[in-house]
Amino acid sequence: MDLVQLQRQFVDYRTSLYHEGFLDEQFTQLQELQDENNPDFVVEVVSLFFEDSERLLNELARALEQQSIDYKRIDAHVHQLKGSSSSIGAQRVQKVCIAFRNYCEEQNVEGCLNCLQQVRHEYSLVKTKLESLFQLEQQILTAGGSIPM
Amino acid sequence: MNKATNVGIAGVGTTKYSDHMVVAPSLFLAVTTIPYLSQISYVGLEGLFFSYYIDGNQTLSTYANSSFSSRKKHVWYKQPVDNQTGKLYGEPVTSHSFNVVNTSWFQVALNHSWGYSSLENGWNNGGEPLFLTSVSLLGKGVIAMGVPVKRLTDRLGGIINLYGGSLSLVTMDGKLLLNGIPNTKFIYANGTIFLQFMWPNGFKNFPCSNDTPETYKLDIDGKEYNVRCSTVEISGVQSVCYPNYSFFLVFAVFAASSINEFWFSVIPLVFFVSSMITNAQREICLHDKLIKQMEATQQAERKSMNKSLALVGASHDIRAALAGITGFIDLCLANAAPGSDFETYLKQMSLCAQDLLGLLNSILDTSKIEAGMMNLEEQEFNLADLIEHVVDLYHPVGMIKGVDVVLDPCDGSIIKLSQVKGDRGKLVQILSNILSNAVKYTVEGHVCVRAWVGKPDFETKILASTRKGLGKYMSSLFSGKNDGNSDIKAVSAVRQNRDSVEIVFEVDDTGKGIPKEKQKSVFENYVQVKETAAGQVGTGLGLGIVQSLVRLMGGEIGIVDKEFGEKGTCFRFNVFLTAFEIQGDAMYGGTNSSFAIRNCSPKLGICTPSPKLDGSQVVLFMQNIERRRVSQKFLESLGISVLVVDHCHHFPSALKKIQSKLNSLLNSSRRSDMSCRSDISSSSSKEMPLSAMEGTEHKLPFNRRKDTPSFILLVIDVNAESFSELWRVVAEFRRGLHSTCCKVIWLDKPTSPCIDPKRLNPDDEILLQPFHGSRLHRVIKLLSEFGNLSQGLSSSSESSKHPYGKTRLRHTQCNDEIQGYVSSSNERYSKQGSSSPTLEPTRGRLKSKRKNKDGAESSNGEKPLIGKRILIAEDNKMLSILAITTATQLGADVEHCENGNEAFELVCDGLKAQRNYDYILMDCEMLPMNGYEATRRIRIEEERYGVRIPIIALTAHTSGTEAMEAGMDAHLNKPLKTNELIEVIESIETKE
Repeated sequence: MDLVQLQRQFVDYRTSLYHEGFLDEQFTQLQELQDENNPDFVVEVVSLFFEDSERLLNELARALEQQSIDYKRIDAHVHQLKGSSSSIGAQRVQKVCIAFRNYCEEQNVEGCLNCLQQVRHEYSLVKTKLESLFQLEQQILTAGGSIPM
Repeated sequence: MNKATNVGIAGVGTTKYSDHMVVAPSLFLAVTTIPYLSQISYVGLEGLFFSYYIDGNQTLSTYANSSFSSRKKHVWYKQPVDNQTGKLYGEPVTSHSFNVVNTSWFQVALNHSWGYSSLENGWNNGGEPLFLTSVSLLGKGVIAMGVPVKRLTDRLGGIINLYGGSLSLVTMDGKLLLNGIPNTKFIYANGTIFLQFMWPNGFKNFPCSNDTPETYKLDIDGKEYNVRCSTVEISGVQSVCYPNYSFFLVFAVFAASSINEFWFSVIPLVFFVSSMITNAQREICLHDKLIKQMEATQQAERKSMNKSLALVGASHDIRAALAGITGFIDLCLANAAPGSDFETYLKQMSLCAQDLLGLLNSILDTSKIEAGMMNLEEQEFNLADLIEHVVDLYHPVGMIKGVDVVLDPCDGSIIKLSQVKGDRGKLVQILSNILSNAVKYTVEGHVCVRAWVGKPDFETKILASTRKGLGKYMSSLFSGKNDGNSDIKAVSAVRQNRDSVEIVFEVDDTGKGIPKEKQKSVFENYVQVKETAAGQVGTGLGLGIVQSLVRLMGGEIGIVDKEFGEKGTCFRFNVFLTAFEIQGDAMYGGTNSSFAIRNCSPKLGICTPSPKLDGSQVVLFMQNIERRRVSQKFLESLGISVLVVDHCHHFPSALKKIQSKLNSLLNSSRRSDMSCRSDISSSSSKEMPLSAMEGTEHKLPFNRRKDTPSFILLVIDVNAESFSELWRVVAEFRRGLHSTCCKVIWLDKPTSPCIDPKRLNPDDEILLQPFHGSRLHRVIKLLSEFGNLSQGLSSSSESSKHPYGKTRLRHTQCNDEIQGYVSSSNERYSKQGSSSPTLEPTRGRLKSKRKNKDGAESSNGEKPLIGKRILIAEDNKMLSILAITTATQLGADVEHCENGNEAFELVCDGLKAQRNYDYILMDCEMLPMNGYEATRRIRIEEERYGVRIPIIALTAHTSGTEAMEAGMDAHLNKPLKTNELIEVIESIETKE
């Protein structure tokens, strides 16, 4: 594919991610933090986010399977997840986390399980989206272009 | 009888008590249809006995679970019967038992395949004599039918004119049925019947012969009598076919005063006998018809069953095919480049496949609905979005035919409602079904969709409550018979909910319309109105399903009568949904706007203008009357001054008027009031419809308040006139404006864009048709009253889901081709980007970034943390990287640690070495020592050195009270933002 077209596609795709609410301005901030000294900053942070979230999601699932559910623990996990998702601007994940914490406070197992499902879904969505965004970015870079801001 | 036999055998097979239920309906049918019949019994050899009999006006039933059961004592029960249904009711009473099986008639009937007739006593109180006809059921049981003797004798004695003669009836075995001849008695001896005449002075016997009728002459007291004996056949079923076998003979004896009248007296008897035969024949015919009817019913049921099965089978195949399609689409999607047109199309295809699946399910659901088994699947959704989505789906379909599909926001109540709970899928189904019909049958004009929140109406509340009561009553009355019953229950259930709101929809088209007499039948399944459906495809199932669905959601659908002379059909339906909080400012964000909307009570029709309005003038130039009218009405309801232009000839003159008005206002702002008024009304009288004029009248006082419209928005439908011509007119208008801001929204067709984006002003925007719903709201947001001018459409559309950006991409691509995409250099690209609207946000970001960098080079202001040492304590790796990078970019020298302990130690080291940190960014929740604890320790430690290091808390909590209590100086919300960090540090520094 021609470079200009690729770049345009990249911009368009990124815009669509903002439009559809997958990302918010925090992601923009993240991108602005990336510079020549730190060329892989965004990818690094985001992959840390992936690692983090996967660990937290697993722990959440495990915690919710227990006979007697430790809501404090769950709340702490969700709190962390909320923090990390908000710091990369994955606002849909963050929003579900807010609901999740509410259910946690109510000690509502149903609601918690439901939210876990949702947060998983949102997480996998944003993960795929971000991965394809990075893929596009990579394509542009290999084609010798630079990433349009 | 056939049917009865079938059922009877089924009953004979088992001796269960409940088998009565198998025999009973057939018996009941017989007792109610066969004339004269007063008793019918089924006696099974294996112990089943069931009988209906009539006692006076009451039908009763006698039954036993054993009719003879090998000498054991058996009990008979008596129970009243419902005259209508044949069902037993009340308490069964034990009654005298009777060993039916031992009776001779039973035995005889059982062993003769053609039945037997005899005279027996009935089950009723008096033990009334009956002519009993019994038929064996394959030797396993007997059906016995009884006709009361009294019926016969009444008829003979009362109705038949004997012409002075008298009549007696006696059975062959000597039982007297009717004794009409005075002074006589019958004597039975040796198989012969003798008629004995008695006088005061003696008696005389006459033998009655079995075979040949004999006539005796008698002379009593000088009067001559003729006495004649003859046999009468009282026939049962079988006697018609086999007259010789099962005769039940009665001697009819009669005496007449003269020979001459003899013949007359014979005829009625013959008549009676023949009438009995006729009755029997009628009975047979009835049974025959009944059987045929039942067979037909069974056949119909079978057919329907087969149809359902075939449908299920077919749907399985269709589902399989559909699953294949969606599967392959998904495969393609995986390979499609993200963001490409190809991907978009594939997604659309996938959506279509989903719709198809839904449709298939709905066809299957039809039967479910009919059985009242359809359930609502409640979920939360945005009603305004849903309606717009459906309307937008059909807009392109309509555009191809030249029919505009318009969404009328009405009083804006739907926008205010936003989130509701209900069955989204079914609502979409209802709306799209009606809408697709409307578009299908409309050749020219428009289809208008209106929706509003129904007012809580006292009347409907009462209706709902009475209906509820009535429903209960009716359900007990017509159990299982009333089809509407389940609907009524559903209605009351839906309406009972207090939070439920009534949403009224209208789909109004200008098509051929439905003839009045056909309006009711369109809601029946498989009905298409012939006159209008010519050449149209469809199953005719649609509106039937729609009606069921609407009723399921507690509403009703109907056709609204149009004014005489108006074309088309207007469907109106209402549904009940659960409302969440009503939001006024959801759509406009601005505070003024919500105020305006809230005050805009639909009842009063007058808006209270927002106090801060500085006034905008909107000019609508659109071709479609309906869209123009609807848009104008809505804008005016928000207090916006609107001028509509219906024809391109008027467009330049209208613009000129505004221009001159503006200029005159600028020249003499004091006397503006009157001129403004006259100007608008003069222009409106020419070009606005009547209703629009009324609308303007309301707005005038508000117009007068301001001196000039500060902002002019032109909304131009490019389809009305060639783009270049319009562009020329607008350019001229712009030249004439001095200071007033003017923005143009060009409405383009999504299918064939005809706007040349190169010629547009940088401020202008291209918007795709249809101009309603969220697009309309976006335009309203542009007005100073409802948002800010600085925001362009592109940025305000960020929150909306419309593929607006994508279509604009197409323009830039064209652009690109013309301007030469050969250049691969980035500079060139970004330059081009800044001139094309697509990359507007990009340009903005680029600018800010550049400013950032430039600023850093020129002064230290942009890198305020240069030379500062910052300690960041954060245990989350990701968040710490983020914070470190942020601080580093601001020029700071950053150190990092992972918990409170480490932080405390690092601070202590620093204090000892006299190399203090300038700031500490402290995460609050860390293990093993949290930020609060670390802060407290640091505060104690540093006091010894007489320093105080500013500590900034990083929290995910909104309030930082705990942090302040622990001795921190400020708090920042995670994630860390550059500008916030700078602000906090600045505020700390100014404090110091």
